[in-house]
Amino acid sequence: MTFVAGTALLAVVTALACALPGVFVVLRKDSMLVDAISHAVLPGIVVGYFLTRDLESPLLIVGAALAGLLVAVGSEWLCRTGLLTGDAPQGLVFPALFSAGVILVTTNFANIHLDTHAVLVGDLNLAAWDQLTVGGVSIGPTYLYVMLAVLGFDCAFLAVSYSRLKVTTFDPQFAASVGVRTGVVNTAFMFVVSLTVTAAFHAAGAILVIALMIVPPATAYLLSRRLPTMIMSTAVIAVTGALAGFWLAYLLDAATSAGMAVFFGLIFVAVHVASRLARHLRHRRRAGRTPAPVS
Amino acid sequence: MTIASTSHEDVLAQGQAEYACVTRNLSVAYRDELILRNVDLRVPRGVVMGVVGPNGAGKSTLIKAMLGLVKPLTGTTEFFGRPLAKVRQRVGYMPQSATVDWDFPTTVQDVVLMGTYGSLGWLRRPGKAERARAMAAMAQTGIADLASRQIGELSGGQRQRVFLARALVQSPDLFFMDEPFQGVDAKSQQAIVGVLHTLREQGKTVVIVHHDLMTVRDYCDHVTLLNRRVVASGPAADAFTKEAIRTTYDVTDDDGFLDSLAFVS
Amino acid sequence: MTVLEFFADHTYRMVLAGTVTIGFVAGALGSFAYLRKQSLISDVIAHAALPGTLVAFLAAVAVAGTGGRSMLVLITGAVLAGTIAVAFANHVARTSKVGIDTAMAVALTVFFGAGMLLLRIIANGEFPGKGGIQDYLFGNASVITTADFVTSLVVGMLALGLMVLFWKEFALRTFDPDQSTALGFRAGVIDTLMFTTIVIATVIGVKAVGLVLMVAFVVTPPAAARQWTRTLRGMVWLSAAFGAVGSGVGAWLSILLGTVPTGPLIVLTLFAIFLVSLLASPRRSIVVTVLSRRRARAALKRELTGEGANT
Repeated sequence: MTFVAGTALLAVVTALACALPGVFVVLRKDSMLVDAISHAVLPGIVVGYFLTRDLESPLLIVGAALAGLLVAVGSEWLCRTGLLTGDAPQGLVFPALFSAGVILVTTNFANIHLDTHAVLVGDLNLAAWDQLTVGGVSIGPTYLYVMLAVLGFDCAFLAVSYSRLKVTTFDPQFAASVGVRTGVVNTAFMFVVSLTVTAAFHAAGAILVIALMIVPPATAYLLSRRLPTMIMSTAVIAVTGALAGFWLAYLLDAATSAGMAVFFGLIFVAVHVASRLARHLRHRRRAGRTPAPVS
Repeated sequence: MTIASTSHEDVLAQGQAEYACVTRNLSVAYRDELILRNVDLRVPRGVVMGVVGPNGAGKSTLIKAMLGLVKPLTGTTEFFGRPLAKVRQRVGYMPQSATVDWDFPTTVQDVVLMGTYGSLGWLRRPGKAERARAMAAMAQTGIADLASRQIGELSGGQRQRVFLARALVQSPDLFFMDEPFQGVDAKSQQAIVGVLHTLREQGKTVVIVHHDLMTVRDYCDHVTLLNRRVVASGPAADAFTKEAIRTTYDVTDDDGFLDSLAFVS
Repeated sequence: MTVLEFFADHTYRMVLAGTVTIGFVAGALGSFAYLRKQSLISDVIAHAALPGTLVAFLAAVAVAGTGGRSMLVLITGAVLAGTIAVAFANHVARTSKVGIDTAMAVALTVFFGAGMLLLRIIANGEFPGKGGIQDYLFGNASVITTADFVTSLVVGMLALGLMVLFWKEFALRTFDPDQSTALGFRAGVIDTLMFTTIVIATVIGVKAVGLVLMVAFVVTPPAAARQWTRTLRGMVWLSAAFGAVGSGVGAWLSILLGTVPTGPLIVLTLFAIFLVSLLASPRRSIVVTVLSRRRARAALKRELTGEGANT
């Protein structure tokens, strides 16, 4: 596989792996929680490295995912105390964890290769550098297979818990009344989100992971009246945006994830404007045809 | 001794099974504020029981605590003589509609089908049988023609009928309905009342939170008057008295308004 | 190092004065973001500042040929971009079914992504005084010049002045959005003014502490102050004081320790202030609240079970 093809494929797989769980993140109105979770990746990796002394260890991903879960659970706990309002709890927890991570890196591991800004920004080309070869033939970047595994895991999770996730998101009270253990569903889902964000940060960077996870489902949300439609259009938008963003970044010689984020943003704005126009026209046509109902 | 005590328990269990649900000594506190104090409630099988009281009386909280959605401070509730976990399929719940996200991308049929999720495992999806049950429930509540509408496009009354259909699709023996008539148009009210009558004819039990005193007598044959504690509970003729209403609502009767409501006792 | 030596050093003085100013302004104006339940808007603003500063940098280089990293240029660009991002997020949330959280996430990433693309264009060109991405992400408190300090002081005072001038309207809009519309205040105008002050409070810190951590300067002091006071006036003052003290102590520590970066240390200091407030404030202390709540529930339970047994 050529380097460009392998990298493009990696972009597509990463975008899909992020966007699919993102559907439920958007529906649960938890989008900014992804922002918080993604920033907890750094301290998670630092602590993971502290324990394993190996930057390649897969345990780092699990450790960082647990740190992300800590932000989700911690801010929910702060919310429940009733002493704080709004979205402040998330804004409190993640900068503190992130700062602790930065300080740990600068004081203890100044000699190792762990650029704090690399965690935030990420580089798809760098992530795709390490090629997997079987029998002397390159079959694409090693990281592609990591992300494929994450994608598979996400799909499996969504398939198994689809009904429960849907009913818990739509009407938690009712879900509990028919015996769904909503607490378990919520925590499991947050872990999946956290794991996906963590695995994807190499390719996209912790900040732009949010774009991959939130913007395609948010766009699909504007278009969809049913959940299966929303999931399908999320997938289509994710793939289209990934390829177009890859091409945009290739032209500008810039980071692929940035190109993807901007392209997703353009699609979102276009769909938003179009749907508003369509609604406007529909209203006018309806108003023109029949007089407004008297109620 | 063993034999005697077993038969004694049998008798007890049978006695309780006359009731669709029995709540004993139920108290609920939000943080450290007491919402419900020592509620004892027996709902006989096959009745429509109205739970009536002023705003903030704890009516919704009572139902949620009975169903285990709110953790009670003290007390237990049994359904058909057994704990809820064992008989969940026989108990249906229609929550107050305000808790739902109306922009959720889902159609009327999807929402009604959610009623079958409790009986499906992790991997199974609703199949032909479930779809047929959903169609029947939608027909019963008069929303079959709205099946493919997005729920946000419905009126308040139509939404209530969707949630009623979702509870019906489980075909439970005991229904809890939290203010089903709130914000409902005349047509929907008629449809919901129709369902209530059908359920009563089928011998089902219904517990309904209701705040319109004028219609209590029309819909309910048993009444529980609640204001943080049970003021009166029993057949409407015994419980829904002027005196009990006055205590519950803390009003003095000057104009004979209460006479028009209550059974004169 | 004695206190005298500390203040004799120009760089140290600037670091301290600069961060204290940032902490004070962000703390005071963050109160309104907190009470509007939109604290995370500051994270959106901080990330949107990246393309803003870069465009301003390019414009300054094109017009003046140099001085693209001057504080005034950076702040102007950042305020513009931040305001557009906030307006975009609020507009999308108001006019579509997308919630405010999602609208904020979209604004944050799209602006930041655009900034990353711009950064690459700048990195590929020959520009005097261009910085790398890490300068924007984490900032650098030790490069605060006297001019920078004066600029952020003046701009910060401007924002605080707006707050004082429109105090009544801000207060009304914060506590009771519906009523203030009914009273005939132009809600849109007040909102724009309020969010502009929050934008200013956020962007004046971006050069010194970076866009990643600025959110903590806006969120943490008000959350801590809220535990001690019930009035808006008290909250704004206390929050500003917490912001200033936390920033001062954090900056001081980072100078004493030498190698530890300033921004993260300030954030941890602020977080410590928040934790102490949560645990120790007399009225709302989490320890006292949890304990007394548990005791009251246990007492209730005893009383009720006794009652139940008697009936």
